[in-house]
Amino acid sequence: MSRILTMLFAMAFIIFAVAGGVASAYLVGYLAEEYLFEGASRLTNILFLMLVFVMITATLLTLAERKWSAFMQDRVGPNRARLAIPGLSNRSLGGIPHIITDVLKMLTKEDFVPGQANRFLFNLGPILAFAPVFALFAVVPAGPSVNVFGKTVDMVVATPDFGMLYLLAIASLAVYGTSLAGWSSNNKFALLGGVRASAQMISYEVALGLSLVGLFLAFSSVQLPALVGEVGNALVSGTGQAKYLWRTDGTFDLGLPAWGIFIQPLGFIGFFVASFAETKRAPFDAPEGESEIIGYFVEYSGMKFGMFMISEFVEVVVLAGVTASLFFGGHHLPFGGEWLAAQPFFQEHGWVYGTLLGTVFWIKVILLIWVQLVIRWTFPRFRYDQIQNLGWKILLPAGLANVFISGALVLWDPSLRALGVVGLLEIGFVVALTMTTGAKAADAHDAAHGHGHDAHGHGHDAHGLPAHADAHSHSPAGAH
Amino acid sequence: MADSHNTDAQKPHNPDTDGFAHEESELESHFQTKNMVINMGPSHPATHGTVRLKVELEGETIVKIDPEIGFLHRGFQKSCENVTWTQCLPYTDRLNYLSAMMNNFGFLNAVEKLIGLEIPERAQYIRVIGSELHRLTDHLTCVGATGLEMGGFAPFLYGMEARELIQDRVTELTGARLTTSFGRVGGMNRDLPEGWSEKVKKTLDRTEELLLEMDGLLTRNRIFVDRTKGTGVISAEDAIDYGWTGPALRACGVDHDLRKVQPYWVYDRFDFESVVGQHGDNYDRYLVRLEEMRQSIKIIRQALDTIPAGPIIVDDWRIALPPKPEVYGTIEGVMAHFKLVMEGIQVPPGEVYDATEASNGELGWYLVSDGRGRPYKVHVRAPGFPVLSALPHIIQGKMIADLVPTFDTINMIGGEVEQ
Repeated sequence: MSRILTMLFAMAFIIFAVAGGVASAYLVGYLAEEYLFEGASRLTNILFLMLVFVMITATLLTLAERKWSAFMQDRVGPNRARLAIPGLSNRSLGGIPHIITDVLKMLTKEDFVPGQANRFLFNLGPILAFAPVFALFAVVPAGPSVNVFGKTVDMVVATPDFGMLYLLAIASLAVYGTSLAGWSSNNKFALLGGVRASAQMISYEVALGLSLVGLFLAFSSVQLPALVGEVGNALVSGTGQAKYLWRTDGTFDLGLPAWGIFIQPLGFIGFFVASFAETKRAPFDAPEGESEIIGYFVEYSGMKFGMFMISEFVEVVVLAGVTASLFFGGHHLPFGGEWLAAQPFFQEHGWVYGTLLGTVFWIKVILLIWVQLVIRWTFPRFRYDQIQNLGWKILLPAGLANVFISGALVLWDPSLRALGVVGLLEIGFVVALTMTTGAKAADAHDAAHGHGHDAHGHGHDAHGLPAHADAHSHSPAGAH
Repeated sequence: MADSHNTDAQKPHNPDTDGFAHEESELESHFQTKNMVINMGPSHPATHGTVRLKVELEGETIVKIDPEIGFLHRGFQKSCENVTWTQCLPYTDRLNYLSAMMNNFGFLNAVEKLIGLEIPERAQYIRVIGSELHRLTDHLTCVGATGLEMGGFAPFLYGMEARELIQDRVTELTGARLTTSFGRVGGMNRDLPEGWSEKVKKTLDRTEELLLEMDGLLTRNRIFVDRTKGTGVISAEDAIDYGWTGPALRACGVDHDLRKVQPYWVYDRFDFESVVGQHGDNYDRYLVRLEEMRQSIKIIRQALDTIPAGPIIVDDWRIALPPKPEVYGTIEGVMAHFKLVMEGIQVPPGEVYDATEASNGELGWYLVSDGRGRPYKVHVRAPGFPVLSALPHIIQGKMIADLVPTFDTINMIGGEVEQ
């Protein structure tokens, strides 16, 4: 019971902390607009979105990953570090002091540079790996643009016309960091890792971009704020993902929103898999592959190694943020959004409304991060050529097919309803596929076990061979 | 070097510039490539124990691999010649350190065969129970490590939980976690502790649950299947030629289990199956080990249920230490104790080869005695050695990522390979 209470308290604490962060982001944005110049809130957003939110989430992720993997693996997880503060000296505090000890360890370690390494490129590696992923979040809207005491405050750093293209371009820059790190270390294992990383990231760029084309077609834009859309009201219907495919009539809006996941499930799977491969985390961690080639950062120590690690976590946060805004409606509620926006209280106090929806966005982000952690700690690693096969032979054709089908459907029915129907069918198909394979696997399992009760078979009877055949009939969609 | 003398003797051979040295046409010059030689080990995350694999790579493909052993060489066979037969026992712990009891009992069985001794029935049961417990720990480690080194950390830790539980039971039985030195020539030195059977049965229940978890995480995991199925393949003929035994051979489809083929101790009384695979690939080796654990659990359950009462060691003061009251109370007891401790067991002159089914295969012992109370020669046929020697045959021409699961599923243990 106390454990459940602790967890509920922790969840509530996280939500309130996020809400507090969003609220202060809006209020500081207002102050900047008021006392500096028009559009100054974009500058404070750099501070809040990219430094406060992304960095703090990424830092906490170092602990969250260790704790969550521990829960999945029947362990307690980090709980040894203590703070020497009276009253707290005997509490593990959920392992939070471990973040401090990790940072201290990284900072105080010897900064080792291999003798034959190219010093300049060796030092450039971690910077090039870290900086691009850090800059990615600039185009992701983390909340609605609201009116705070008469000033319009945005919750996005930049809204360039090229929107998502900026994201794809900057994301592909990160490969330089890893391949330079691999090459300049003058280490054969690191070189192998760097080569693997560059091959993997370059081949997934194509699938990554292609999987989003369907979405761009549906919403006729590549700008993230336009893709997220704006809530409608009694007179105009919502735009982007705030639009409803079908909705009930009445003041309280209930219905199926045009979220990316509903109209582009195939695109979602492709995007999520491809961007997972870009983060170089398991099951796509062949560049690291610590039991084979140790990884492209094998020669790095101290904070330079820490930069590679933290850039991985920042990528996780950014990926969750981008996925939330592209496929899960960004900061919009699944229902009741229009009703909420129409409330006089929220129309008057824009920053409260913004805080509410901003919190919704970050909750979605946290859930998507959690999904990534679960995937990370469930699957073994792909082999290098299997990663390439998945990218070129499955994701790329699937993405192409998705583009053509989506294009035709958007052309046929611009209200996106046809796309929604096909999307729901696709979701149902994937779910059914996953369920049936599970049932068949369970049958085969029983067969293998039942076999154990037979009399001792002579010679070449093969245990678990039904499972063999079955495992290969898994569909690629079912595997993800 | 030789061809550089033949073609153009003036120029020294230089692999870096030769590609541009063709004077006929610059268009014909090709980019010179060199194969990359990397060292996996002696200290590498994927090496069990300390073994060095010199791997020559062309891209990601293994052109040549050369396993190099000797980093754990301890002179086990020579050391045995300087101590009494009983004192060899602690050395045998360190062979396959994951299943020390099987080494202990295998050695004792060979010595008893050399003497021509039949040990009490209860002792035979205890040996079966101990062996199967350690077969479980060995296979758990192997299967868990296979998952771990392919990036799935969870199955490894589930395996470790089961292994720790079994390790606790082993500690209660023998007094040590790893280096058990359990059993003596002629029987056992300790009986099963009070209430131990019940605890073991509980442990086995939990182990079965954990096996299901590992099974669920790995067996039908698409990535795991892709990585293991069809990789590390060896044909049954090749496996036999290389001298493979145990689960690795059975995975090739050869039904050869010493517990079935030439039953020793009381193995013929239990209902269990010899688990046989078909393809000889990593996936089959993994499945065979997984199923063998279930069979081991079955054997232990039966043995615990049917273990008879009775003595645990032969009543022969030339072989077994006399009971303590006799040592302290009678002159015969003191003398027998003194002679046994100082001179050792007087094994009659002769030689013997005896083998038991250890976790990785046939653990064979070739013992020679000259009747002086110390071994004249001890040679152990470690199952890991032939398995490791076949690694180049299996893996050459395959990808480096295949090396890791292959190296895991053949389960070569440094301690027994290098003795």
